[in-house]
Amino acid sequence: MSINTTPLFAVLGTLALAAGAAHATEVKYMLWDSNQLPAYQQCATDFQKKNAGITIKIMQSGWGDYWTAISTGFVSGTAPDVFTDHLAKYPEFAKNKQIVDLTPFIQRDKLDPGAYATGLFDIWGRDGKQYGLPKDWDTIGFIVNMEQAKKAGVTLAELQSMTWNPKDGGSFEQIVRKLTLDAAGNNATSPKFDKKNVAVYGYQTPGSGGMMGQTEWSHFAVSNGFKFQDKPWDPQFHYDDPKLAETMTYLAGLPGKGVSASFENTKSLGSDAMFVGKKVAIVPQGSWMITYFKDSAKFEHAWVPLPTGPTGTRATMFNGLADSIWVGSKVKEEAWKWVKYLGSADCQGVVASYGVVFPAIKGMAEKAIEAQQKKGVDSSAFLTMAKSKTFLTPIADSASEINEVMTGAMESVLIGKADAASALKAANTKANQLVKN
Amino acid sequence: MTTITIPGLHRGRLTSPGRVVAWGVLILMLGVTLMPLWMVLKTALMHPSELFTQSTQILPSDPTLLNFKRVLGLLSTEESLAVGGSGAEINFARALGNSVLFTTIIVVLQIGFAAMAAYAFARLRFPGRKLLFALFVGSMMVPSVVTFIPNFILIKDLGWLNTMAGMVAPFCLMQGFSVFFLRQFFLSIPRDLEEAAVLDGASHLYIFARVVLPLSITPIVTIAMLTGINMWNEFFWPYLVAKDGALQVLPVALQTFKSQTPQGQPDWTGLMAATAITVLPTLMLLVAFGRRVVESVQFSGGK
Amino acid sequence: MNSTASSLAPPRQATIPQRKPHGLSATRRAETLTAWGLVLPALIGFLVFYAWPTLRAVEISFTDWNLLREPKFIGLDNYTHMLEDGRFWQGMKLSACYVLLNIPVQMVLGLFLAVAMDRLSRSLFVKSVVLLPYLLSNVLVAMMWLWMLDPILGWANSVITGLGFDRQPFFGGVDQALATVAAVNIWRHMGLVAMLFLAGMQNIPRYLYEAAALEGASEWQMFWRITLPLLRPVMVFVLVTSVTGSFQIFDTIAVTTNGGPLDSTRVIVHYIVQNAFSFYKMGYASAMSMTLCLVMLAYTVVQMRILRASEHDLA
Repeated sequence: MSINTTPLFAVLGTLALAAGAAHATEVKYMLWDSNQLPAYQQCATDFQKKNAGITIKIMQSGWGDYWTAISTGFVSGTAPDVFTDHLAKYPEFAKNKQIVDLTPFIQRDKLDPGAYATGLFDIWGRDGKQYGLPKDWDTIGFIVNMEQAKKAGVTLAELQSMTWNPKDGGSFEQIVRKLTLDAAGNNATSPKFDKKNVAVYGYQTPGSGGMMGQTEWSHFAVSNGFKFQDKPWDPQFHYDDPKLAETMTYLAGLPGKGVSASFENTKSLGSDAMFVGKKVAIVPQGSWMITYFKDSAKFEHAWVPLPTGPTGTRATMFNGLADSIWVGSKVKEEAWKWVKYLGSADCQGVVASYGVVFPAIKGMAEKAIEAQQKKGVDSSAFLTMAKSKTFLTPIADSASEINEVMTGAMESVLIGKADAASALKAANTKANQLVKN
Repeated sequence: MTTITIPGLHRGRLTSPGRVVAWGVLILMLGVTLMPLWMVLKTALMHPSELFTQSTQILPSDPTLLNFKRVLGLLSTEESLAVGGSGAEINFARALGNSVLFTTIIVVLQIGFAAMAAYAFARLRFPGRKLLFALFVGSMMVPSVVTFIPNFILIKDLGWLNTMAGMVAPFCLMQGFSVFFLRQFFLSIPRDLEEAAVLDGASHLYIFARVVLPLSITPIVTIAMLTGINMWNEFFWPYLVAKDGALQVLPVALQTFKSQTPQGQPDWTGLMAATAITVLPTLMLLVAFGRRVVESVQFSGGK
Repeated sequence: MNSTASSLAPPRQATIPQRKPHGLSATRRAETLTAWGLVLPALIGFLVFYAWPTLRAVEISFTDWNLLREPKFIGLDNYTHMLEDGRFWQGMKLSACYVLLNIPVQMVLGLFLAVAMDRLSRSLFVKSVVLLPYLLSNVLVAMMWLWMLDPILGWANSVITGLGFDRQPFFGGVDQALATVAAVNIWRHMGLVAMLFLAGMQNIPRYLYEAAALEGASEWQMFWRITLPLLRPVMVFVLVTSVTGSFQIFDTIAVTTNGGPLDSTRVIVHYIVQNAFSFYKMGYASAMSMTLCLVMLAYTVVQMRILRASEHDLA
């Protein structure tokens, strides 16, 4: 007495399948900046409303452990579907086919690369393949302790129109000297200045800067006429350019003038802490730090554009993050939808309104500035910088090792143990060798 | 057997110059130990905005419990961000519970198995004893940077990712440190009592459980405490295996206070408050079990 | 050295009951079986989580593997490259220097604290304070000291400059960084070492001290002739584990100096991790790890031989 159960199972099976398909697909997304977490959580909520059936699980992991977690994820097959990527890291991932080439998706959905700020889209691609959709851009500016500036008689207008050259430092150095105070209250333009007893420094170089010098020296060097490479991916660096050596010599000489603390003394907590602690009047930093200083520096401070260099322009590194999709993701279509949303005006508008970063889509920068103004910060300096001469980060294979080499060279120059010309020449040779491997 | 008071041994020599110097050095060392810990507490009580302007002062000028609230997850995200903290959510009570469970499972299992193995190495003769012990000790010398990936893949293949089993697995069976420690201790116990028991016809297991273990309470409690402390602070493995959601242990939950961005500062005040809070449970346990370590287990010798 | 102990050993029982008539092999077999039973759980743990991954690591050390693609067999190339790599040798040298800075001081201070906790003061407060630094993780301790030792904003330098001395760069100083890392490590671990020694001292029979005191021995003499020799197994343990741990230092450096300044703290494990996760050269990192492992094993064997780790004066 066998009942023909096959049709029954077929029906049940189909029902089960349908029920399974009705379950939400989960897309795992990873990022490192906890300051941006609320903004992206809002994006996720909005996205989920528009895309029933997809849930976004956001995981945040601090910078220190982020890349180890991602690499381990690749190796073990547990990497997130989408993750915030970095220009220094993605070349290696791309070369080893760990991230998805987004070009087919972009062409299918007819995305317009021109929607993004100039240069950002291209730098996330190589040889016709695209590995990320730009999320944001950042530029560099100076943050100035206005309380102190006012006491020293330095006006905002003066700060916004500084000039610099590697020989005498231009009006930049004059202002820095006015803002440097020794324990007795003399500033560094006075003959009574005691450079062994400085209470407040005028300017501080944040660190060695590695191969990019994003906040440390690239703006000075490029405004002096220096160029990292002739074009992105070019296996030929120009670190041996005398214009860079001039710049580094100038920066290395600042502690000797008493206007900066020695390099060794700023390696622990660093220049940002010094600024917040009122031990230095001006430091260079990137626009991603706006919120940090707003929250921590409880005195009047202002962001000003960088000085104009010998070439007659201001220069700043123009950098941007993007999100990549892991090759081993089992939900690539859904992951792409999320990446597309992250790269869209909707999400970037939300992120802008949180006032943490500038969105990559053209025309939205003003929104971010507005949001920041509401919080009491004038970040227009960064927009000014974005409209001046911008240059992209150097991008090449073997970036980590090249960075090692350059860090060593820059450190030795800034500590005073090596002269810039020879150290940079040697480093450049090594860098060119590494990039060809 | 209680301490026999020998004239001159403990009491009468209090004022000898050697003792005074020793006390001086001890107090100095206690001071050096306590000062940084005081700075931790003081920083935890400071408002984040005063952090760097008052970093060199010894007392907080305007103590606040704000940072502790942030660590315990009692402030909302907006409030947290407003004082310069991170936007990540912290479920402190749950992380605490996970840490307690994680630590307890490992301590109980690992020390139990270590004591068994250590006794075998110290007192029993069997082929391969020297080699095996050497291997166990050798296991401490392999840098974990190369072993954690194979272990991670194994746990993933077993389907134990994001489970407590996956988190405790590498630790709960064997740790060279514990086996080595207990074996040295078992070696140092005079054999008289054991020999007496052997002559009485006791089996090895009986001697282990009824003779040696009771004599070793101090070292066992010591190693249990140390292992407990290490596991309480263990970050990397639980981070890899169960970094999000319900199974976060305290160090993983609190990693949000370390540096979050490439050039960013760590959230110092939050970090110090987190430090102060994570130390508390271990400190309490230490005080509770400290009695055991304080009592000198007097060896009674053959009678 | 042994005279004090053996001359005071209590007399053995005079009557020795007859052994039951077992064959020697049966007793031995029972012993072996019991032993293997006792060792089994730890053995399983060892094989699964230490032995097998180590074998995998050895296998990987013969390959070129960048974590992102399949490993490629290249034989001994990693090892030959390593021998020519200046940074490898520098890493080993720095690690060795670090061990030399760290261990002797830790041992001496730890011993002193242990003796103090045994003979000077039994108070729980002292024990708690001594152990407190160890309760904090390596990373937290490192961050705490980074904060306190900052040349410009840290409390330590405010005291130093207040006393009229020059600002000390500590972690930022090319000549000072490694020593600073060692000092921080000593601060954290001397309490641990002290507790280990103290546990060892608790096992020393009190009557030895009492008898020695009766004979007129001073504290110092008692320390040298009773405490120290009888601490030998514990001492060996502490030495081996401390040296092994120190050779593998990484966390503190990653947090405070990241190998700098000017590579003055680029100890071997830091270089290994850099190769594994920054340069994506896991094969090379494995080769260096295995070499480090061998060096530590060699050192341990020598040390345990010299100190006769498996013997004990009372047993």
